[in-house]
Amino acid sequence: MKIAKLLYLIPLALMAWGCYPAGPDLVEDTDIVYTTFDEGYDFSAKSTYAMPDKIVIGVDINNVGDTTLTYMKQADANRILDAINANMQNYGWTQVDISADPDVLLTPAGMSNTSYYYTWWYNWWYNDWYSWWGWYYPPYVTIDSYTTGTLVIAMADPNVETAYNQTESTWLSISNGILTKSNDIDRAVEAVETSFIQSPYLNIK
Amino acid sequence: MKKLAILVIMLMIGCSAQLYAQGKSTISYSIGFGTGDINDYISKASFRGISYEYTRFINPNVGIGFSVGWNVFYSELERDTYVTDNASITGKQYRYSNHVPVLFRSAYYLKSDSNFIPFAGAGIGTIYSRRNTDMGLYSIEQEAWNFALVPEIGFQYRLQMDNAINVSLKYYNGFKAGNELDAAQSYLALNFGFTL
Repeated sequence: MKIAKLLYLIPLALMAWGCYPAGPDLVEDTDIVYTTFDEGYDFSAKSTYAMPDKIVIGVDINNVGDTTLTYMKQADANRILDAINANMQNYGWTQVDISADPDVLLTPAGMSNTSYYYTWWYNWWYNDWYSWWGWYYPPYVTIDSYTTGTLVIAMADPNVETAYNQTESTWLSISNGILTKSNDIDRAVEAVETSFIQSPYLNIK
Repeated sequence: MKKLAILVIMLMIGCSAQLYAQGKSTISYSIGFGTGDINDYISKASFRGISYEYTRFINPNVGIGFSVGWNVFYSELERDTYVTDNASITGKQYRYSNHVPVLFRSAYYLKSDSNFIPFAGAGIGTIYSRRNTDMGLYSIEQEAWNFALVPEIGFQYRLQMDNAINVSLKYYNGFKAGNELDAAQSYLALNFGFTL
């Protein structure tokens, strides 16, 4: 009878085998690119844009309210800015200086924040072979931290007046993924490419 | 969901230990095949499933009891772009569909005095369904408690006087319920288990 009771373990073992965790294998698998646009905005009537030559990644505000902007390392920022310029110009836009009254402004920004998630382990074993089989589930919990990166590119028309005297974005791209410090800029550049591919309405040619 | 799964499995084990002397307990490995809305969402079969049944015989041919289970459907979609009215999102999508049926059950056992015992039965109760659609670090979660009717057929093959191999095919017919998952949640399950 004791051996017969062990038959119960077969379905449990199959279940355990089937429970092998599934989900993203690589950090790149967490990358997403989201874009949205103002459906009432006529992109085809515009042609020029201006964009800063730096990418802001943070704002420090001291206790008297003074703000200090921090910027992405310029070599990395250049790769992202070059990708934005290349895609804009490929879609028929012309970059002009901010003083040349551009039709739209592009403001790229990067941000990162650290998050935590819980990892669960499964574990069970026999604890009394001769009297009764049992199992034990210790819900080991570990806390892992990871840093996520988000690249935001906002397009706004400074010539549109709104009730609050603030310009609403006509196009917005948000790319997000886990940062690794190894190929993050490559992934950001790819995200820029994807942003334009999935926004064909920006093509004014 | 894992907490719930652990609870279900612990309940199975606990029930099998406590009720063993009073009736028959069956633990099965369960393979699921989605139908309707589940199949539209995840077309792959589920190889993550388990079920527990307790059956008490009121006569040699008729057993009544309850069953609980857990089936998980999963699929990973290639990186793709999904478009709504004025928004697009690109990324890999991971889909999970968890189903936990809790049922009262009765079955009629033919040839109860032979080694090969075909049976047919039905269950009534509820299925807790939870669907997670993950993209990037974000997850959309939808839940429902579906009223459920579960017809089943199967057979037992007696190994010894008190234990048998149990094979059954069940159709978990979870009727439409709630607002989040606004379609019926139904699936076929092929169960391989042991009865003690």
